[in-house]
Amino acid sequence: MVSTQTGDGRVTRRTALASVAGLGTMALAGCTQSGSGGEEQAINIAGSSTVFPLMSAIAEDYEADNPDVSIDISSTGSGGGFSNFFCVGETDFNNASREIQPEEEELCAENGVEFVEIVAATDALTVVINNDNDFATEMTVEELAQIWEADAAETWNDVNSEWPDEEINRFGAADTSGTYDYFIENVLGERGHTDDYSATEQDNTIAAGVEGDEFAIGYFGFAYWYQNQEQVTPVAIDNGNGPVEPSLDTASSGEYQPLSRPLFTYPAVASLSEEYIADFARYFVDQTDNEQIVAEDVGYVPLTEETKQEQMDKLEAAIEDAQG
Amino acid sequence: MAVETDTDTGFGEVSRLRGTVFEYLSLGASVVGLFALAALLIYVFVDAFGLSTASPAWLLTYFLTLVVPYIGFCLYSISDRAFTRKIALALGGGLVVTAVGFTAIETLLVSIPGLTWQIAYLFLVATPVVASVTFVASRQPLGAAGFGLVGRLVGGAALGCAVAIMFIVIDRPLWFLVYTFGVLPAGGVYAYTSRREIGWPTAQATLVGLFGLGVSTQLRQILGIYPSDGLIYLWTLAVPLAAGAAALVTLRDGSRRAVAGVAVTTLLGGGGGFVLGSSALPTGSGVIIGAATVAATAVYLVEAVDNEGRRGLLLPLLIAGGALAGAAVVQTVGIPTPEMWLTPAYLTSAPSNEAANAGLYPAVVGSIIIIAMVAVLSFVLGVGAAVFLEEYAADTGLVGRLTRLIQINIANLAAVPSVVYGLLGLGLFANLLGFGFGTAVTAALTLSLLILPITVISAQEAVRSVPDDLRQGSYAMGATRWQTVKNVVLPEAMPGMLTGTILALGRAIGETAPLIMIGAATTVFSAPAGIWSRFSAMPMQIYAWANYPQAEFRYGVVAAGVVTLLIVLLAMNGTAIIIRNRMEREH
Repeated sequence: MVSTQTGDGRVTRRTALASVAGLGTMALAGCTQSGSGGEEQAINIAGSSTVFPLMSAIAEDYEADNPDVSIDISSTGSGGGFSNFFCVGETDFNNASREIQPEEEELCAENGVEFVEIVAATDALTVVINNDNDFATEMTVEELAQIWEADAAETWNDVNSEWPDEEINRFGAADTSGTYDYFIENVLGERGHTDDYSATEQDNTIAAGVEGDEFAIGYFGFAYWYQNQEQVTPVAIDNGNGPVEPSLDTASSGEYQPLSRPLFTYPAVASLSEEYIADFARYFVDQTDNEQIVAEDVGYVPLTEETKQEQMDKLEAAIEDAQG
Repeated sequence: MAVETDTDTGFGEVSRLRGTVFEYLSLGASVVGLFALAALLIYVFVDAFGLSTASPAWLLTYFLTLVVPYIGFCLYSISDRAFTRKIALALGGGLVVTAVGFTAIETLLVSIPGLTWQIAYLFLVATPVVASVTFVASRQPLGAAGFGLVGRLVGGAALGCAVAIMFIVIDRPLWFLVYTFGVLPAGGVYAYTSRREIGWPTAQATLVGLFGLGVSTQLRQILGIYPSDGLIYLWTLAVPLAAGAAALVTLRDGSRRAVAGVAVTTLLGGGGGFVLGSSALPTGSGVIIGAATVAATAVYLVEAVDNEGRRGLLLPLLIAGGALAGAAVVQTVGIPTPEMWLTPAYLTSAPSNEAANAGLYPAVVGSIIIIAMVAVLSFVLGVGAAVFLEEYAADTGLVGRLTRLIQINIANLAAVPSVVYGLLGLGLFANLLGFGFGTAVTAALTLSLLILPITVISAQEAVRSVPDDLRQGSYAMGATRWQTVKNVVLPEAMPGMLTGTILALGRAIGETAPLIMIGAATTVFSAPAGIWSRFSAMPMQIYAWANYPQAEFRYGVVAAGVVTLLIVLLAMNGTAIIIRNRMEREH
């Protein structure tokens, strides 16, 4: 270092000092910033873990073009998001994999939170079985209900006499999940959901459970199966018109019933009065028919041109209302 | 004990069976635990660095250019023939044993997914060998010099990164004003008055500092134009760092030339960081990182170049050269590189929907900021409570009984599930006090409460372990209770208190449940702008990725996140352990 040099150390030091000074002057001349940091433009989103990948994919693209806006997304489950955050006015959007429920609407009304319902995509709720299971690849809705109802069948044989006399091991969505609510509403109805199952918000836990047990059954959103088609086998559902396998096509054509479902996001009207939030909401709706993002990247069914236009009209009305 | 009645055979034999069985059982228990942990860590590392996709040629190239020269350096610094022979035998014999053993297990018993015998060799033989030669070499002058330098380089850079991250949430223009009008004059006043011995330096300096603070906050409202962040860092951090480094060298009786050299190179390091910059990090943070790295290294070099074993200082060059040579060979021969997940880009980019672009940067920043706040809060609260309970609170009468009740409650609080603390944070800090849902402040307060029982209990242990003789000796000299606590108890107990806090912080940084409860974000795309912003933390983001449908996320990206979390944890613990050891030595 400097201390080891003897002859021209002084010159080196002076040169160094001079260059630092020169650099400093140059920098001082050129590098200033304005001190008034603009108001932080934050968008808070919570809700369904099913809609989470779609919302974060779209938010990611939006942030790339709008670096001043800071979006945060929490995956809390549809119900958790409504009751803990959205209806107490803490979040700007709530994602949901089912429609808002009456009690949640009441809570929102109590706190003066108005909202507008936007359809984000269509999902095909997928019932899966083990790859070695070759007897239950097709199921009627009634059989499905017998497996999952409150007074659930013990063995496969109880459901269908052609099936083996083995115990059914169930893996499903936890009761904070919109997937759970949707499943009850459209398959089980009054019969209620069994509590004799492994409940989780994590799709890969369900898949791993079904993968490891020949006589297991589970259900989750289509996206997980779409990205991991080797892991488990989807069940073709017979709603009276013959068995239909879940796929992007059958879900968008409406053949895959009763398990194809709309996914929602609920912007708060009060938030839409902020122009940057309204702008993001428009961007979101505009992306809902983007095949690349919705179908390829995330694994849901994109909206059709008309449905998207309907949603956009609904949103524009709400924005106008808010910004009035 | 009862008298044995059956002793008429004299000194019979005592069966050793039970003792032996117990010994092997405890050995088995520790082996099972360690083996499970090692297997888990190996898989996480293999996934994070994509080693299962690494070709044997790639592994061999870097083994020869990086690992072998490093082991050679250590052995050269140890220069013990017998030890060298032992190491060579371990490396060579280990190669044969792993290759044969692994193949035998694969063909005869079960196939081991995701591993090859080369990787097994790397983890089961090469890593322990490297660790042991490093340990032995660090006790030799040559090795100590080399490791010291590498430590300064890495430590300085890490510290610089940590400070740079703290400054993300600080209002830089305000800090610039406070430093210029508050901190600097206060320091000047303190130095001047304490040298001339006029008045009460601390009080005078504090007054000046507070006045400066007031002026700065007023000025902040008025002024509209400030120097860029890089210049602020250069002026407020690199310049004092250079002065500090120079002062340290002066204290250690360095030559004037050495003092000037250290100061100038530190400034140059900061300036270099300013010029080079980086698109990934926030603007200007290169200044902090550059200045910190150069200052730490230069201060060390001034002493080390004259010491025995100065040739060891070439170690960083050896490592850098090895890495470059390896890269060159891989490039020219065209060996396919493995698909690594934990890359610099991963650490400096935002989360993404595509596994290849996904990054952890906002979550790393969030975690570090929170843990810094938790460290300060829990240390202050924990030490305060412990000192009060041990030194001041009476242990007899009504107050004594109350103290004991509190003690029992603190001990029990340590076992309350973390979700409950999350609920407390949600109700108390987010709702009642209005600190906001999922803000960094709410999270830091909640996590501080969560680890408070642990810090209090360990700090109490530390205070209790200070021998009473010392206290009595202090009182006998006429010291007051405050003087005794300040000069005797706290310095003696400090290393123990730090250890407790470090362990507790390790728990806090990995907590997920309380963060979910207070509404912390799962994903954010930019680093928090201030301590009142919503943020994401590493465990939250890792947990979300673990649920992604794509397998690349669940294996590669999650594993890289886990390794990052481990590295941050180790860096944190390492720093605290170094501080603690220094304190113990000084005492």
